Amino acid sequence: MTSPLEARSLVLVREGNTVLDGVSFTAEQGEIFALLGGNGAGKSSTLLTFLGFLDPSGGEVLVNGTSVTSDIAAARNAIAYLPEAASLYGHMTAYENLDYFLDLAGKSASKDEIDAALDRVALPQEARTRRLQSYSKGMRQKTAIALALLRETPILLLDEPTSGLDPVAIDEFHDLVKTLAEGGQTVLMVTHDVYGACQVADRVGLLRHGKLVGSFAAENGKRIDTETVHAAFAERQAV
Amino acid sequence: MVRNLIRETRFLAKDRGAIFWLFLAFLLSVVAVSFGVAEVREQRETIAALLEEDAADRANALEGQEDWGSAAYYAFHLTYAPPSDFAFAAMGQRDSSPWKHRVRMLALEGQIHEADTRNADFGLVGRFDFAFLAASVAPLLLILLLYDLRASERTMRRHDLLVATAGSPRSLWLPRALVRVAALALLLLIPLWIGTLIEGAAMGLALQATAIMVGSLLIWWLIVDLVSRVDASPSILLTSLIGLWLALAIVIPAVSKAAIEAGNPVPDGGEILLLQRETVNDAWDLPKEATMEPFVERHPELADHTEIEEGFEWKWYYAFQQVGDQVTEPLVEEYRDVRLARDRQAGTASLLSPMSMVERAFEQLAETDARSMIAYEDRVRDYHADLRAFYYPLMFPEEPYDSELLDDLPSYTPAS
Repeated sequence: MTSPLEARSLVLVREGNTVLDGVSFTAEQGEIFALLGGNGAGKSSTLLTFLGFLDPSGGEVLVNGTSVTSDIAAARNAIAYLPEAASLYGHMTAYENLDYFLDLAGKSASKDEIDAALDRVALPQEARTRRLQSYSKGMRQKTAIALALLRETPILLLDEPTSGLDPVAIDEFHDLVKTLAEGGQTVLMVTHDVYGACQVADRVGLLRHGKLVGSFAAENGKRIDTETVHAAFAERQAV
Repeated sequence: MVRNLIRETRFLAKDRGAIFWLFLAFLLSVVAVSFGVAEVREQRETIAALLEEDAADRANALEGQEDWGSAAYYAFHLTYAPPSDFAFAAMGQRDSSPWKHRVRMLALEGQIHEADTRNADFGLVGRFDFAFLAASVAPLLLILLLYDLRASERTMRRHDLLVATAGSPRSLWLPRALVRVAALALLLLIPLWIGTLIEGAAMGLALQATAIMVGSLLIWWLIVDLVSRVDASPSILLTSLIGLWLALAIVIPAVSKAAIEAGNPVPDGGEILLLQRETVNDAWDLPKEATMEPFVERHPELADHTEIEEGFEWKWYYAFQQVGDQVTEPLVEEYRDVRLARDRQAGTASLLSPMSMVERAFEQLAETDARSMIAYEDRVRDYHADLRAFYYPLMFPEEPYDSELLDDLPSYTPAS
């Protein structure tokens, strides 16, 4: 069966620097795969290759079995992308932002459907008609997640999705991501939050200097052991 | 595509910065067209008032005259180039070249060129008309609307989300820019179309003007798009584009104008005026043969009537006036030819500057270009020649004065 996301011996060289060096992994349907790494490990670059913003120098990335470089539009249509510090338009309300971005994706949603998505991310009703420039970071992130929900894509790419969120918001977010995966969505998230990754992910990959140096999987219905991953992460960082 | 355009139109409606520039564009267009319409009306009113005075003044001057020489001497004739119905859009050379004269049977070239420095200030700084707006201001507004389409999204870290959501960059940037270009074109052109209706100009002219305007905006859109693809900050992009605008709007036209003028030296109207006046003044002190011989060369049919018996005779007076014109002919021809050559070269040089090209195109449509003004001068010369052709056969054979014959006095007809 074809994996929704697959990196095959992915190499990425930018301005003479090797950013990714032979990275291979897959993310299966309904799975949450977290790429864990420090600053400059190549996490965000990995996401950007799946979106076709960066061309691999070697190897390839596939979305639903099709090479991204051969059909970027198909890859992007299958993916909802939540960048770090998702910056929607500050001069527009949540409704207007969602309406705009959904239209941009070639989709449309009724106000009830938008409200349902905003309910799922727990964005207060009174905030929905306010401009986003008055939102907290968490509220902006929730609006962006609502967009990802409304797009109903089979794949979700998350770049440091809990960065800057308060603990309650992080827990809510993790619950939401798990729900999405249970619904069949494939989630690839990159983060440097060991605890968060272990809480939410079915598998965790450790990235260091562009190489995948370790992998951990949840087994027998148990979450990945945070201490084990943290120890490996700290060890690898120290190397 | 329609869906993308509707989405980006709604998006534009929420962008206060863009709305400000678009409103400013509309306001400037209204002002430019209003100024143009007001100026054209004033010129038409001036012509109408002068025409009324001209007929009355001439009737008054001719009343009580007893010979052809006096009648020709005292009667002035108004010549003029009325503004075209589209002149409101481009006043062009009408600000630097005279478009009305009061001529009489004296030496002509001095009469034409004594007025050539009128409106010199406008000739230098230019007028805020629609042609200037379309050629120079519209590209600047377009730059302000488009320069940071991509860069501002990169700065706000929204670029990747937008492109990833859109799937293809074309379905985002193309409609976003197109809506802005179309809105700018529309807001600039609506006042022009209304001006065209008010002035009763042919809709074909409005269509051509629209094509010129849209073509210019498309060229600038291409320029802005190419520059803004560079991964640089909005301020660097804006600085680069303004620099390019300055080069194309000011530096290249100024340098090419200076080069063309240096390469095509031209006698100014003052030289022609001076030479003619000196020739005419000198004639008073020269033997009459010195005047009549060159005159007869030009008018052999009057050879039997050129004997001057008294100290002053009108036919001698008019002969040396004409000889004054004959002496300046090479200078006048050179002046005319060089102006046309400069105009041709300026046309070629305008290929380097979209602004110059647009301004020249508008002046051609409005018939306010250099060629139109030279054509008017030629028309004045033709009319003056008609006056001479009327008076000479009466004056030189010394036909008895008959005021009723003045009913056949040629009247000036402007170009239709």
